[in-house]
Order: sequence, then structure tokens, then C-alpha cells
Amino acid sequence: MKTNPVYKRETMVSARSFRLALILVIFNSILALVILLNMYSVVERVKLTAEIQYSSFTTLYVFVAVVEFVMLMFIMPALTAGSISGERERQTLDILLTTTMKPSEIIWGKLLSSFSTMFLMVVSSFPLLAVSFVYGGVMIHDVLLLLLCYLTVALLCGSMGICFSSLFKRSTVATVVSYGVLVFIAAGTYAVNIFMLSMARMNMDSSYASSINGVTDQANSGPCLYLLLLNPVATFYVMINKQAGVNPVISSLNNWFGPHPDNFIMDNWVLLSILIQLILAAIFILIAIKGVSQSKRRRIRKK
Amino acid sequence: MILEIKDLKKKFGKFHALNGLDIMIPEGSLYGFVGPNGAGKTTAIKIMTGLLFADSGQVLINGTDVSDGLNILKQEIGYVPDFFGVYDNLKVNEYMEFFASCYGINGLKARSRYMTLLEQVGLEDKSDFYVDSLSRGMKQRLCLARALIHDPHLLVLDEPASGLDPRTRFEFKEILKELREQGKTIFISSHVLSELSELCTDIGIIDQGKMVLSGSMEEILRRVNATNPLVISILGSKEKALTILKSQPCVQTIAVKEGDIRVNFIGDQQDEAILLQQLIDAEVMVHGFSREQGSLESLFMQITDPDKEKAVLVHENESGL
Repeated sequence: MKTNPVYKRETMVSARSFRLALILVIFNSILALVILLNMYSVVERVKLTAEIQYSSFTTLYVFVAVVEFVMLMFIMPALTAGSISGERERQTLDILLTTTMKPSEIIWGKLLSSFSTMFLMVVSSFPLLAVSFVYGGVMIHDVLLLLLCYLTVALLCGSMGICFSSLFKRSTVATVVSYGVLVFIAAGTYAVNIFMLSMARMNMDSSYASSINGVTDQANSGPCLYLLLLNPVATFYVMINKQAGVNPVISSLNNWFGPHPDNFIMDNWVLLSILIQLILAAIFILIAIKGVSQSKRRRIRKK
Repeated sequence: MILEIKDLKKKFGKFHALNGLDIMIPEGSLYGFVGPNGAGKTTAIKIMTGLLFADSGQVLINGTDVSDGLNILKQEIGYVPDFFGVYDNLKVNEYMEFFASCYGINGLKARSRYMTLLEQVGLEDKSDFYVDSLSRGMKQRLCLARALIHDPHLLVLDEPASGLDPRTRFEFKEILKELREQGKTIFISSHVLSELSELCTDIGIIDQGKMVLSGSMEEILRRVNATNPLVISILGSKEKALTILKSQPCVQTIAVKEGDIRVNFIGDQQDEAILLQQLIDAEVMVHGFSREQGSLESLFMQITDPDKEKAVLVHENESGL
């Protein structure tokens, strides 16, 4: 099978650099330290109380999963935001574009190499994550769903970075805009729901119905809740809460934004949001390809 | 013609970068592309290499319109920009292998191709060196080898000698001559006009987005020489020679400068021969009789700044006898 030349070069250069090895060591060392300390405290508690708290190991799983999720979400844009603009700054993009490589191949090569770097980190931490499997509670399908969630967030954040990298000349601008949009998606959709919920509560407070105790608890953020389908943090939150076996009421989004009626979307929130975020990632990739190729410029008109 | 550009137009906002540019590059030629800053050279090169699309016009490569698909153009053209475009942490052989794979050349075929090219540009002993550790001249040669990896017929070089020392320039020029001998057509944009006149077989001068002069170097220099004054060197008295010159209908102005007689002569080669015969018959001791040699620099100045050239002519006329 023909390997994408850009992917091959990028992975070779990144594997050659000392930085990647150093990051892997530091990242896994921190995780290992936290996990070992946690296990130590559990064992010490057993000595004192003669009672094993198995839920501590599930907490450990959640902790590692959260750390990796946050890492993926915040490192992927940084890895990809400089990929195309960096080629422009090095003045190698023009040379690449004069070869027979298609812009889509350049984008894929860049994206996949960032993806590989990121997943090397995730996979390298799996043995640490597996510590929690020793005591049970986490099933294989849970891990697969977690992996799917990671893939989605990495693809979304990576494609966002590469999209702005192809649209802006400077890597710094591309990085700032990527993080701006990421914060807007993650915090903006949350803020909109909070705003809508407080508006709904205010409306209920001023109505006659507010005289009945507890009626404000029925207020919700309305259809704005579905904006959270775009938000990878919301997806991860719902998924990890279910896996950790936390009370479904607490784990659901209803706790945040008021009770919403059960429907198909609410029942299949995780899978649907993953699907929507993958579509969003595909849109970012298409914009990136368009940004790199000259198809946006007018072609030579035939006489 | 390996490449033909017809009536190419390109606007950036209100600025007309190209205003009906025509270029014809004969196969096997070494074509010099000259023009003042902002004349549209880089825009033209970017369109030629498929990096930019024109607003209107045609680009034909071996008679095929490239608007049908850029791949024909990319296979036929090797591009060397005025910057090196190198990657950190990549060795020379890896750099070449990477670009070979960008053209779909892999494995042993790629290796044998880039080793031949590195040998040709004199970098065979540097194949295990990191690209960023090479000198400027070496990087430029590497860039040339990179542009040849897919064996293109036309090589487009944008200001390749800028920033290079004289020795490296000379070596680079020799490589280009060698490539031309191997049958490559070379299109070179440069500001170093003296080098171009030595190197090129054809030349095109662009100004304000239009081709103002193009043709073979020989023909253009002949045309320049034909309008240059005749320089006649005479031993002894010049009186007799001046009397003969004044009686000639082809003579427009006569000036005596540093012991030579400079004559603005509008006749052809036969008229020149008759004049020389008359001078010898009149026993004038002629030891030099030739047209002043024109240079690409003077032609470039004349074409791209007509006001300046007029001033020179006025000055010469005023000093005439």
C-alpha cells in the first residue's frame, strides 16, 4: 500500500525528535504516580478499616480518562494549527503544490501524523488505565466507547486546527483562532444553555405558577440543549458518568439544564453527538482542502 | 514550442499584474526572463507552475491547454523558487526521497534517480548530511536536484543566483549548461543581466505585465548593435576622415571621443563596407572599424526606462559635430 509521503515524512521527523520521547515519559510518569498513590491510599485504608472500596478504582479510571480527554482536546489544535501555515512560513508549501500531490493528500498526511503522535500517547497510557480493570467494573465495550470518544475529539480538534492553519498565513494566528473556536464550542454552547435556563426560570418566577413550590425545577433550556451535541465535553461527560455508574439523574444533562423530555436524541446522546462531531470534523477538513488548493481562484477561461 | 503563454491577464484588486502577457519558449532553449521589480515576473512564473490561476488567457504545454488538468503541467515542469524551502531534521537523501514519493516515484527507482541527480549537482558525498546543515550554495543545488526528480522537460528557475557568491554562481551556471546539453529546456528569471547574456539562447523582457521584447539572444543583440554608433579608430590626422564622413548620406551625427570617431550610422552592413573602402582609398590610416557592442543591460535600460534613453540620445546629439 502506498504511504502518504507527507505522513511518512512527518512521522519520521517527529519520531526522530527527542521531544516526543520526553513528552511520553513525563506524561506517563505523572499518570503512573497518581495511580500508584491512589492504590497506596486504598491499600492503607484497607489496613485501617478492613473494608475495600472498589469504587476508588472506578474513580481512577475516570481520572485517567479525563486527563487523556483534556490532553487530546488541548494538544491536538496546537499540533495541527501550525501544520499548513508552518509549511507556508518555511516556504515549502509552494514546492509541495507544484508536485503531483493533491491538496487533500497533503491535508490527510498532516492530520494523520498529528493523530498518530497523539494516539501514541493515549495507547502508551493504556497499561495504566488497565490497573482499574484488575478489580473489574469497567467492561471492554466501555473502553471501546471511550476510544471512539477520543478518536472523535482528536479528529474534531485536529481538523479545526488544520482548517485554520490553511486559512491563515501565520501559525500564531491559526493557533489562537483554533483555541478560540474550541472554547466557543466547549464553553459557548454551555453558556447559551445556562442563559436559556435562567431566562426560563425568570419567566416562571414571574408567573402565577411560581407560587407552587418546586415549579422552577421544571424550567429547562429548551431546544438549545441540542447545541450541546456539538460539544465534545458534553459527550464525554455523559459517557463517562454512565460508565462510572453514577446515578443516571445526576449524570444526565438534565442536571445542568433542567429536565428535558425523553426522546430519541436524549436516549442516544453519545452516539449521535459523536456522529455530529465527525460531520463537523469532515466540514473542517473540506474547508482546509479548499484553503490549500487553488480551486477557489478562478480558472483560466478558454477562448 | 514547449510552453506557450497567450494573452495572460491577472489582476490583484485594481492592480493589473499581467496585462496580456505572451511568452513562447522554444524546446531546448535557455530562456532568460527579465523585468524590473513589479513587472509581473513572479506572477507569470506562479501561473506557469500552476500555483496561481489567471483571470484570462491560455497556458499551453507541448500544445496542450493546462486548463484541462494541472497534472500535465506538474509532470512537465520542475520549479526552483528563489527560496530554498528545506525541512529541519531531514537528511539530503530523505529530502530527495520525499519529493520523489510526491511524484509517485518510490523504492529503488527513486534511490537510483536521486543518487544520479545528487552526483550531477555535486552533492553525492552529502547524502547523509542534514539539509539545514548545508551551505546556501549547496541548498540551491539540492533544490535544483529536487526539481529534476521527476525528469521534467522544462525547468523553471526564479532568481536562482540571488545571494550566491561568484564561485557558486559559476558552478550553478555550469550545471545549467550541462542540463541544457542533456536536452532540458530552462526558463530562468534573473536580475543578473550580464550572466543571462552569457548563458541564455533566448530572452524575454517584461514590463508592466506585458512582454516588451522577446526573441533569440543573437538576434536581439544584433538589433541592438545595429542601432549603436560606428566606432572608427584612426592613426594620425582625422581631418580627411571627417570630410569623407560628412559627405556620407547615412551619417547622422559625428563625435570625436577619446581619439576615436563615433558615428551614428543608419546604413546596413554593405553601406558600412563602402564607407570603410572610401576611407582606405583616401589613404586614411584606419586601425579600427566596428559597431559599438550593445549589452543586455543597455537594452534593458532602454526598454524599461525610455525617458532615460532619450536623455542619453539628446546628450549625444548635442555633442555631435
